[in-house]
Amino acid sequence: MTTTTPSVELSGITKRFPGVVANRDVNIKAQAGHVHAIVGENGAGKSTLMNILYGLLRPDEGTIHVDGREVSFASPSDAIAAGIGMVHQHFKLADNFTVLENVVLGAEPTRGGRLDFEAARQRITEISQRYGLEVETDALVEELGVGDRQRVEILKVLYRGARILILDEPTAVLVPQEVDELFDALRELKGEGLTVIFISHKLDEVLSVADEITVIRRGTTVTTVEDPRSVTARQLAELMVGSELPVPELRESTVQDRVMLTADGLTLTLPDGRTVLSDVTFSIRSGEILGIAGVEGNGQAELVEAVMGVRRPTSGTVHLGGEDVSHWSTRQRREAGLAYIPEDRTRSALLLEAPLWENRMLGHQTMAPNARGPLLNRGGARADTERIVREYDVRTPSIDVAASALSGGNQQKLIVGREMTGEPQVLVAAHPTRGVDVGAQAAIWEHIRNARAAGLAVLLISADLDELIGMSDRLTVIFRGQLVADFDPRQVTPQQLGSAMTGAGEAA
Amino acid sequence: MRRRFDLRSVLIALAAPVLAILFSVVVISVVLLAVGDNPFDVFSKMIEYGTQPRTEVLILNSATIYYFSAVAVAIGFKMNLFNIGVDGQYRLAAFAAAVVGGSINLPAPLHVLVILVTAVLVGAMWAGIAAVLRAYRGVSEVISTIMLNFIATGVIAYLLQPGRLAVEVQGSNNIGTEPIPPSGQVPGMAIIPGTESKVYGLAILAVLVGFGYWFLLNRTRFGFDLRATGMSESAAVSSGVDIKRMIVAAMLLSGAVAGLVGMPQLLGSSYSYSLDFPAGLGFTGIAIALLGRNNAVGIAFGALLWGFLDNSAQILDLEGVPKEIVTIMQGTIVLSVVIAYELVRRYRLREQQRLTGQATAEPTGIGPGADEREGAPA
Ligand SMILES: Nc1ncnc2c1ncn2[C@@H]1O[C@H](COP(=O)(O)OP(=O)(O)OP(=O)(O)O)[C@@H](O)[C@H]1O
Ligand SMILES: [Mg+2]
Repeated sequence: MTTTTPSVELSGITKRFPGVVANRDVNIKAQAGHVHAIVGENGAGKSTLMNILYGLLRPDEGTIHVDGREVSFASPSDAIAAGIGMVHQHFKLADNFTVLENVVLGAEPTRGGRLDFEAARQRITEISQRYGLEVETDALVEELGVGDRQRVEILKVLYRGARILILDEPTAVLVPQEVDELFDALRELKGEGLTVIFISHKLDEVLSVADEITVIRRGTTVTTVEDPRSVTARQLAELMVGSELPVPELRESTVQDRVMLTADGLTLTLPDGRTVLSDVTFSIRSGEILGIAGVEGNGQAELVEAVMGVRRPTSGTVHLGGEDVSHWSTRQRREAGLAYIPEDRTRSALLLEAPLWENRMLGHQTMAPNARGPLLNRGGARADTERIVREYDVRTPSIDVAASALSGGNQQKLIVGREMTGEPQVLVAAHPTRGVDVGAQAAIWEHIRNARAAGLAVLLISADLDELIGMSDRLTVIFRGQLVADFDPRQVTPQQLGSAMTGAGEAA
Repeated sequence: MRRRFDLRSVLIALAAPVLAILFSVVVISVVLLAVGDNPFDVFSKMIEYGTQPRTEVLILNSATIYYFSAVAVAIGFKMNLFNIGVDGQYRLAAFAAAVVGGSINLPAPLHVLVILVTAVLVGAMWAGIAAVLRAYRGVSEVISTIMLNFIATGVIAYLLQPGRLAVEVQGSNNIGTEPIPPSGQVPGMAIIPGTESKVYGLAILAVLVGFGYWFLLNRTRFGFDLRATGMSESAAVSSGVDIKRMIVAAMLLSGAVAGLVGMPQLLGSSYSYSLDFPAGLGFTGIAIALLGRNNAVGIAFGALLWGFLDNSAQILDLEGVPKEIVTIMQGTIVLSVVIAYELVRRYRLREQQRLTGQATAEPTGIGPGADEREGAPA
C-alpha cells in the first residue's frame, strides 16, 4: 500500500445513460509517477469514466479528488485547469487545420494581443523532440494517418501543461514500433512525475507498461492489481470477461482456384506530386485472406480507397470476380459483393446521430433486406439489426439508440456484423478488430474464418501483427506505397515483419 | 406501456415550440409595456381579429405560400446546403410561368399543368446553376445563390417593361405580364364557413408536397442517401453515395419546390406577374424551416403560426400599436425555439436516466454481475 496521496482518486462514481448504467460505484486511485491501466470489455464503462474525469460528463453520484483536493468539473476547461488532459478514443481534431493550429487551438499563444505562432512552434518542437512524438507542424490534419493524428492529440495535451494524462485506447491504431515509441514517451512522462491513465484492450501491452491495473466489468471495479508482474494476460482476460485469451489462427487452407479480387499496377499520385501508391499488384482467391502489413501512412488507406472506388487511382485497374470494375462507382462495387470495414469507424462507417437500424442500412441501402426497389424496407432493416445485435453481441439497450451512444468496441461489432451480412464475395477489412475486447475479437475472427471457409476473399489490413500473422494465408508488406516483400505467415516472426515494415529489409 | 411512452414523447416534442412561443410572448409583453401599451389588450385584439373567418382564410393562404418556401429551404438544410436563393428562384419561376401562362391557350387542366411545370423547371434550373458551381467548382452555394437572387431581380426588371414582356395593368399605372386567361387559373375553395373569401386551390398542392417531402426523406433510398450525406459526408461516400450528384439532385429539388412558391398567388389571385408581386418570401422560408426543424409537420405549424402573426397584425395599426411588433415576435420565436429544443433535449435525457436509475435499483438488477441491459425502458 502506498501512503502518499493519490494524484487522482475517483470514489463511488455512478453514471446512468438512457437504458444503461455505464458506471456503478467505481473506485480508482492513481499515483503520480505511475502508469495506471484500466481494462475491461467493450461497454464496461471505461470511456465514460474518463469522460467524467475530464469534465465532459457529470457523474450522477460520487466524488473526484485531484492531489487530495475534491474537485467538480463543469466542463473540460475546468479539468484542463486542474492539469488533466485527455486523448480520446475517437480523435477530435479539426480536419482542415494544420497540426500547429490544432495543437494551439483553445490555448492560443499571444504576444501583445496577437497570435504568436513562432513561440508555439518552438514549444511544440521542443515537446515533440523530448518525448519522441514527431510530426510535421504545418501538415493539414486531414492528410495525416491515424498514427500521426494520435501524436498530435498527445502533443496538444502536453502543450497545455497537463500533469495527468488520460489515454483512451492509444495503441489501437499503432503498429508495434510506434507502440514502443509511445511507451518510451510514457516512461519519460512518468519519470517526470506525471500520472498516466491508460486504457487498452491489448493485455500484453498493458502488462508491459502499467504500474497498476484496474479491471472494470459491467460498469464497476472488479479489482485493482497492484503488481502487474503477479498476473498473466490470460488471468487478466479472465478477470475482464471471464473467458480465455483468444489466439488468431487459421486451421486448414480453404483457398480455391477462382480469383476474386485483382489489383493491377495501382498507382496514385496526389495533386502535390507525392506518389502514395506505386504499381501495387496483387490478387486474392476465393477462400483466401491476404494480409497487408505496414506502418500507418504507407499507402494502406489509399489502397483500400482505390479498391473501393472512393478514390480514383492515377493508373492501374481493379478486377472483381474477373470483371474490370475500375470505372465502377463505390455503390456498384458494393452491390457486386464488395464489403468494406473502413479504418476510421466514426468518420467513414457510421452516422453517429442516426439510430442503429439506420446505420445497419448504411452502405447497403440499395440491397435486401434494407430496400425494396427504390423504397426503404424499414421492417427488414430493423429485424436484421436485431439479428446483428444478437449474433455479434452488440451491447445496447435497443436498436433505436443513436450510434454515438454505443461504446467504441460495440460500434465496431455493429459495423463488422453489417459488412459480413449478405454473403459478400470480397471483404476489404481495415483493422476489423480495432478497439474490441478480447472476447469480441475471438468472435469476429471466428466469423471471418467461417466466411472464408464458405469462399470469402479478404483483403486484411491491420496494425496488430499477431492478427495479421494468425489470420492471413499470405502476407505482404507495404512500404512507401509499394508492396516490398512477401512472407509466409506460418514462418514469419513479428520481428521479421516489423523490420520489413520500417524498410530495413529493403536492402536484402 | 409502449403507447403511454409514445404519448409522452409526443407531449415532450410539443414542449419545445410551446415553450418558445410562451417565451416570446413574455419578451413582447416587456417590449409593449416599455412603449406604454397593454400587452393583454394587444394579444386579445390579435386573437380576436385572427380568428375571424375572413382572416382565417388569409392565414391559410399565407401559410400555403410559406409552406412551399420553407420546404424548399428544408430540402437543402437536410444536406447542409444553405439555399438562400429560394427568393430569386421563385420570383424568376413565377415570372416565367406568368409569361408562358399568359401567352398560350389550352384546356383548363392542361393549361394549369403547363404553368406549374414551367415554374418548377425554371426554379430548378436557377438553383441548378448554384448546384453545379458547388459540386464541380466548389463555389459556396451561399455566395452563388445570393448573387443569383440579384441576377434574377435584374433579369425580371429588364424583361418586365412595356414593349418587352409587360403590358399596362388596367386601371392603374402598374405594369405586369399578360394576364393568364381563366383556363389557366386555379379556383379558390370556400371551405371556411362564414365568409365569401376563398382559400387558394393550390393549398391542396402544398399538402401533397409536404407529404411527398416526408415520404421521400424517410421512406426512399434517395432520401436516405440525402440524409446520410447531411449527417456525415465521409460516411456517405464510403457507403456509395455520389456526393456531387447528390448536391445537384438536392439543389434541383429544392429549386423545383421553390418554383411553386409564387403559384398560389399567380394562379389564385393576381393572374399576372406585376411590379408588386410579393418578394422576400424565400427568406421567410428560412425562418420557418428553422422553426419547424425541417420536419414536414413542424413546418406546417410554423407556416400557420407565421401566417397568423402576419395577418392578425394588420389590426394593430388601427389600434395605434406599431405592427412591427410582430416582426420582433417572429424573430424571438425563431431564436427561442433553438434554445427551447436544447432545454427539452436535456430534460428528456435526464428523465430517461432517472427511469433507468429506478429500474436498476430494483433488487433483482443489482450487483456487478447484473446485466446492464435489464433496466432498459426505451
Ligand atoms: N452518450 C451516451 N448515451 C447513451 N449511452 C451511452 C453513451 N455513452 C456511452 N453509453 C453507454 O454506456 C456504456 C459504457 O460505454 P463506454 O463507452 O464507457 O464503454 P467502454 O468501456 O469505453 O467500451 P469500449 O471498450 O468499447 O470503448 C455502454 O453501454 C454505452 O452504450
Ligand atoms: Mg471506450
